Amino acid sequence: MEKKIIEFANLLRKSGIRVSVSESIDSFLAIDELSFDDREVFRDALRTTMVKRSEDIAGFDQLFDLYWSSFYDGLRNAFDQAQGQMGGEFDLEKLMEALKQGMQNMQGQMDLSELAKALLTQDLSQLEQLIREAAQSAGTERIENMLQIGFFTRRTMEQLDSEGAGKQLRDLAQQLREGGMADAQVDALLDMIEKFLEALRQSVRNFTERELQQRNFDYMEKFRRESLLEKSFYNLTEDEIKRMREVVARLAQRIKNVLTIRKRRLKKGKLDLHTMLRRNAGHGGVPFELIFKHRKKDRPKLVILCDVSSSVANVSRFMLQFMYSLQECFTKIRCFVFVSELGEVTPIFKEKDINGAIEKALDGGDVINVYTRSNFGHAFHHFWQNYLSAIDQKTTVLILGDARNNYNDPRAWCLRDITNKAKDVVWLNPESPSAWGFGDSVMDKYMPYVDVAEECRNLKQLSKVIDRLVL
Amino acid sequence: MFASVDDVISQLNGQGYVCGKNIATVVYLATKLGKPVLVEGPAGVGKTELAKVIAKATGRPMIRLQCYEGLDEAKALYEWEYSKQLLYTQILKEKFAEAMAGATTLRDAADRIGQQDNVFFSERFIVQRPLLRAIQAEVPSLLLIDEVDKSDPEFEAFLLEVLSDFQVTVPEIGTLEARHIPIVILTSNDAREMSDALKRRCLHLYIDFPDEALETRILATKVPGIDVRLAEELVGVMQRLRKLDLKKTPSISETLDWARALLALNAGQLDEGLVRDTLNVILKYEADIKKAQSELGRLITRKVEAPAPTAAPAGGAAAPLATAAVAPPQAGAAKKGVLH
Repeated sequence: MEKKIIEFANLLRKSGIRVSVSESIDSFLAIDELSFDDREVFRDALRTTMVKRSEDIAGFDQLFDLYWSSFYDGLRNAFDQAQGQMGGEFDLEKLMEALKQGMQNMQGQMDLSELAKALLTQDLSQLEQLIREAAQSAGTERIENMLQIGFFTRRTMEQLDSEGAGKQLRDLAQQLREGGMADAQVDALLDMIEKFLEALRQSVRNFTERELQQRNFDYMEKFRRESLLEKSFYNLTEDEIKRMREVVARLAQRIKNVLTIRKRRLKKGKLDLHTMLRRNAGHGGVPFELIFKHRKKDRPKLVILCDVSSSVANVSRFMLQFMYSLQECFTKIRCFVFVSELGEVTPIFKEKDINGAIEKALDGGDVINVYTRSNFGHAFHHFWQNYLSAIDQKTTVLILGDARNNYNDPRAWCLRDITNKAKDVVWLNPESPSAWGFGDSVMDKYMPYVDVAEECRNLKQLSKVIDRLVL
Repeated sequence: MFASVDDVISQLNGQGYVCGKNIATVVYLATKLGKPVLVEGPAGVGKTELAKVIAKATGRPMIRLQCYEGLDEAKALYEWEYSKQLLYTQILKEKFAEAMAGATTLRDAADRIGQQDNVFFSERFIVQRPLLRAIQAEVPSLLLIDEVDKSDPEFEAFLLEVLSDFQVTVPEIGTLEARHIPIVILTSNDAREMSDALKRRCLHLYIDFPDEALETRILATKVPGIDVRLAEELVGVMQRLRKLDLKKTPSISETLDWARALLALNAGQLDEGLVRDTLNVILKYEADIKKAQSELGRLITRKVEAPAPTAAPAGGAAAPLATAAVAPPQAGAAKKGVLH
C-alpha cells in the first residue's frame, strides 16, 4: 500500500502538484488512522495531507480516479469476462476442486512460476503486483505516445514471461490428463488457460494505455500552467484571456501585499522624544507610553501612454488591468490611449468596473479613433502640446507600444522633453529587443530618451516590470 | 474526542453544523494526528463556524487570534508589560537603594542590579497573547487563527515555530512548551497564498459552496421555522445566483440571512417582486444587484414553473411548516396575481 501511495505522490509531483516527503509521510499516518473500506474517506485523507492549494484539487481528483480505480477493476472485469465466455456447462468450482486434487497427487513434480500460480488461483491482487513490476522493468513509465502501446505491452508480457507460464500451465494440463483426469475436464482447463492468458494480455494492454494517459495528463497540465505565465500575449485564445484575468488579479494582489508590508516597515521610525515627553508629562516625566515617529514614503505618480492598436491590444489589456488593480498604490494615475490620435481615458477608470473600463479604453474610450494606422510621433506631439503639464519630477511615465511607426516622423524630441520633466520614463515593448529598430520600428530613435526599455511579451515579464515600478 | 469519521459528522450535527464527509475526515485526522488544519474557501461558507463547533463538540475552550495587517509577535504571542515593569521600579526605588548600599564603584552597583535581572524579566511581567495562552492553557484548548492570509509573511514565518513544535521561545526566560497540544484551525480567504512551509505543516481543507441538497439541509438546521418548499426555492435561486459573474458571490451566511429576512416578512413563497425587494440582503454591491435584477426572470421562473400545480392549493389552505410564517390569505392571493 505504501508503495502505491508513494507512486501516487510521484504522479502528483509530475503533474505539477507539489508534494513533499513529509506530506507523503503524513498521508501514511492519516491512513493508519482510517479504515479503507470507504473510498471517499480515503480520498479525502490523501487530499488533505498532500494537496495544499485549492487550485490543485481538480487535478488531484482526476488523477485519483485515474490511479486508484480503473486498473484493479479492469483486471477483474477482464477475468470475469473470460470466465463468462466459458459456456454454460462449465463449472469453475468443480474444475478447481479437480485441479487441487490433481496438484496434490503430483506434489513436488511441478514447479509453477509465480504468474502461472496467480493465473490458476485467480489471485488478482498478486497479478496486479506482478504486472506492475513487469511494467516497471519494461520501462513503461517512459511511454510517450499512442504508437508505443503495442511495444510496451509486448515488453511487459515478455518481462512477465507469460509464454513460459502458458507453457507450464499446458504442461500441467497434460500431466493431469496422464494422471487420469477426465478428458472433458482437461479440455475445459486448457480452454480456461487460453482465456486467462488472453485476459492477461488485455489487462497488460490496459495498464500500458493507462500509463500513457497519466503521462499525457502530466504534459497537458504542465503545458497549461506554464503557458499562462509565459505564453506570448500574441497567441492567447479567447478562453485564455478570460482565465488570464484571474492570474493578473492574483499577481496584482501579491504586489499590493508586498507594498503594504514595505510601507509598514517604513512606518516604524525612531523614538519620538518630543511627543513622548509631552504625552508622559502626566506620569511625572516617567516614560510609561512610548511614541515612535512615523516615516512617510511618497507614492509615485503615474502617467500611462498606451498603444491600443490591434497589434498590441492584448499586452495593453493586461497592463491596464494591472494598473486598474493597483490604482491605490499610486497617488495619481493618468491614463492615455493612442493609435494615431491621443486621448485621455482616466475618467473611465474612475467610473467603470474593471472589465468595462478596460474594454472601453481598448476601444478608444470615445476619445480617439482606433481604426487608423499607428503614428507614435503624432501621438507624442499631441501629448507634448496638451498634457506636458501633467508631468512633474515625481511622475513616472509608462509607455506601452511596439514603436512600429508606419514610416512616419518619430518626433523623438517630444519624448526628450517628457523625459526631462519626468522622474522616469519606462517603455514596455512587446517585441524582442533584436527587432527594435528594424523595418518600421523606431524604437532606436526613442531609446536615448527612455530610462528603462523592457521587452514585455508575457505575464512573467509584465509583472516583473510592474513590480519594479511600484516598489 | 471523536471515535470515527461518522462520529465527527454526528457530533458536529449535534452542534447545528451540517457537514459532508470531506470536512469530517479532515477534522477527525486533525484530532488524531495533532496537526493544524488550514481551512480555505470563499467568505461565508462556515470556516470560522467550523472551529467554533469543534470547540463546542469537544468541550474545549476556544482561543481566537484574529489576524490583520501589521499583526506582530507582541500582539499574537507575548509582550513585556512595560508599564508594569516601570511601575514596579518606581515603587521599589527604595529597595534598590538598599540593594545598592555599600556598593562603592559604579561597576559594583551595575553588577548588583544585573543579579536582579530575572525579577523584572519573569513570567510575572509577561502579557500572554492568544498563541501563548493556547500553549500554556491548563486544559486542552482549541486555537483559531482567523484570516491568516491577512497577516504578513513575517508573521507566518514565526507561526511555523509555534505550529510545528508547539513551543515558544522567550529569549529572557527560555523555551515555554505546550502543556497540552491544542487543536489548531487556521482560516484563509485566499487573499494571499500562504507559504509552502506553512502549508506543509498543516492539513488542508477546502470548503466550497455547498451543493443544493446540502445547502437545503443547512438551511433547515439553521433556520428551523422555514417552510420546506420555500427553502428549496430559495436555495435554487442562490445556486443560480452563484453562477452569475458577480463581484461578491453570495455564500451560505447570505442564504441564512435571506431566509431569516423572508421569515420575518412572513413570505410563503418566492416571487419576482419579493426577490427584487430583498436582493440587498444577499448582494452587497450595487452593480451586482443590478445584474441580478436584469436576470431575475431567469433566476426564479424555472423554479416557479415546476411547483406551480402544487403551489396553487398550497398557497391558501395548507399552512407552511413554519410556526412563525402565517401569511394572510389576501397577501397570498395578491402575490399570485403578480405571478401569473
